[in-house]
Amino acid sequence: MEMANKSSVPDVPAVSENDWVTLLKDNSRSGGQSAVALPSPSRALWQMRVGSSIRTAPVLREGTLYVTSTGGHLHAIQTDSGRLKWKFKAGGAIYSTPSLNGGTVLFGCDDGKVYAVNGDSGAKAWETATQGSVWTSPVVRQGVAFFGSADGHVYAVEAQTGKQRWKQEMGGRVYSTAYAAEKKIYVGCGDGHVHCLDSATGKILWSTLTGNGIDSSPALVGDTLLIGSLDFYVYALDASTGAVRWKYETGLGVSSSPAVSGEVAVIGSKDGNLYALEIASGKLRWKTRTSQVITAPAVFGDSTIYLQSGGLQALEATTGNLLWRAGLASGVQNVPVIVGRTMYLTSNEGEVYALE
Amino acid sequence: MGMDRRTFVRRTCIGSAGLLVGGLPALGGDEVVLPVAPPIDVHEAPLGKKSPLGMPGLFPGRVVEIADQRSIVGNRVSQPVVHDMLQRGLKELTGETSPQAAMAKFIEPKDVVGIKINPSGAPACCSSPELIREIISTVRSVGVPARNIVVYDRFGDEMDLGSYHALLPPGIRVVNIQDGLLDTSGYDASVYCQVSFFGEWETRSYMASVVANGLDKIINVPTLKDHSASGVTGCLKNVAYGSFNNVARSHVAPYTFTNPLIGVMCTVEPLRSKVVLNIMDGMRMVWHGGPLTQNQEFIYPSGLLLVSTDPVAMDTIELAAIDKKRLEQGAPSVWEHKASSITANGREFYEDASKNLFYRQPGHIAAAGKLGLGVSDLEQIDHRRLQIG
Repeated sequence: MEMANKSSVPDVPAVSENDWVTLLKDNSRSGGQSAVALPSPSRALWQMRVGSSIRTAPVLREGTLYVTSTGGHLHAIQTDSGRLKWKFKAGGAIYSTPSLNGGTVLFGCDDGKVYAVNGDSGAKAWETATQGSVWTSPVVRQGVAFFGSADGHVYAVEAQTGKQRWKQEMGGRVYSTAYAAEKKIYVGCGDGHVHCLDSATGKILWSTLTGNGIDSSPALVGDTLLIGSLDFYVYALDASTGAVRWKYETGLGVSSSPAVSGEVAVIGSKDGNLYALEIASGKLRWKTRTSQVITAPAVFGDSTIYLQSGGLQALEATTGNLLWRAGLASGVQNVPVIVGRTMYLTSNEGEVYALE
Repeated sequence: MGMDRRTFVRRTCIGSAGLLVGGLPALGGDEVVLPVAPPIDVHEAPLGKKSPLGMPGLFPGRVVEIADQRSIVGNRVSQPVVHDMLQRGLKELTGETSPQAAMAKFIEPKDVVGIKINPSGAPACCSSPELIREIISTVRSVGVPARNIVVYDRFGDEMDLGSYHALLPPGIRVVNIQDGLLDTSGYDASVYCQVSFFGEWETRSYMASVVANGLDKIINVPTLKDHSASGVTGCLKNVAYGSFNNVARSHVAPYTFTNPLIGVMCTVEPLRSKVVLNIMDGMRMVWHGGPLTQNQEFIYPSGLLLVSTDPVAMDTIELAAIDKKRLEQGAPSVWEHKASSITANGREFYEDASKNLFYRQPGHIAAAGKLGLGVSDLEQIDHRRLQIG
């Protein structure tokens, strides 16, 4: 399996190969190209409970796992022991996958704020407010954090201070985590539009209407933007113009987000199938029914795809055949983090696992 | 609404046990006799007087059924068609000439309005976001600001599967009452139903705080769906089991006390007075496997919308429709109580319409009628059918 098109991968702060700094590891939404094929987990290195539901993906940096929970906490957990280093209490439930900007953890909150917390100490660095819940994950690019809010706006703030650069009104609620390219921001909207914004000004450069709302998060591969819609389709749009290059129909709405590797993207549908589509043509490589419903994105390793849907599952990347299934860690938007031969999982029931 | 004093009432569930037997066909060789429910203690908020808008509301016994097959095609719900269906239904129910005037019979501009959805079973069958958007639009037309509209249910993960947060308009609040089965933080400890059905350790079910204290009016939006325990899940179950916690304790397979608990919960103030309108999403009919099935074999695109203030009358019609569909499909009646139909295998239940996990209790609807919540006699129901499209 080839690496994703390097020209499409935004620059990010230098991070270790072992770090997962944002949703699906890095801003390329690759889902962790270096993730090796792992056998079914044989033992738990540790397990802990955070006391409330976890409906997000964890991120990891330098031996610390950061996990948000609906109880309103950001938890910093030592990966070697599973011990809690600290936890930070926000002003409401958290449904936002955290994102790292160097040593600072950024996340949105139901209280309408985005918080920045020192990753070592747990001290708040800054906060900024919107008029609606923030369930999206802040995406950091060139010192600016971009995020959408249920108040119907996309915001750009300075990642170091939280000072607002701009905000742009959308036509509906924003539950799609933005994709930040070098000069453009791509994001889906609850009113069914996919928008491309100028990252410097927030000006809308183009908008493409799908048949229903969007809570899927886009991925950019070369000049093709991939995103799911609740109109049951997966879309490939021309990233320059928004023109529809192809769309592929699934059986129900698509809330999951694409994970890309080489010329293939995998994305789940609420119909319970995981689809592998050729990015250039939309041609189906394979589809596999993994569970009743898929809403979380998959992790796309070198030869294996990992998915938390009705428990943790591993599929062969070339065929979609099920390799193994572990009946733990049910989730809605939970995504595993894989480092070496260790896998970190969170669950809807509030559990955090390190599995080997 | 006075909440400074509480009353303590023992609801005797008038005739529920008798209804249970009276509503059944004669016992056959395989039929079982079910246990009788214990009385339920109710600790509720006292009211100066009951609201005339509360269940059964302004139009007891009247149910408007709007049918349009274009409302759902290929599992996609048509927003424009649903718009027309809702407008026609509201006008027919109230006799008003505009949907705005119709809604104004139930909602005032100063009200904080709850919309109780049913996401259970999402995404295959749940309250359609397209319908919820139309209800929000109609409520807003009365003059209610967006911030005073609260779309809610108990479980956030089920709401996530329905993507309600993304699909509803900005400004309104989308609220889940609890995260996880054991989270009680969203409930009012002073309003509850208390009963021991099976010797459970927690014998109380508390009313959601948002229902008890946060809302003035509730629009109930159930689905048209069979239910493995209660027979069907319609208006009564959606608003009862969706407003109180710790309700799963009413079932221990193969027995369930959804009758009479559902009806009793609906009588508890202030819930009873706040539910002013029921709008049933019948775009899809789940005739087996409810409430959670994703099996499309048992989900029929019925293309219906039902509007009523009377939850008992609407559920009575729902029950008849689902039982008719089951019989057409060769499945046993929801009234059947044969030991040979019971399975403990969930997979078997989800794949075989002749099997069930519980002895269903569709008698909960008639029991609710006996408690004064509406009309349960089909002959007495003013069932108005509108065919459009």
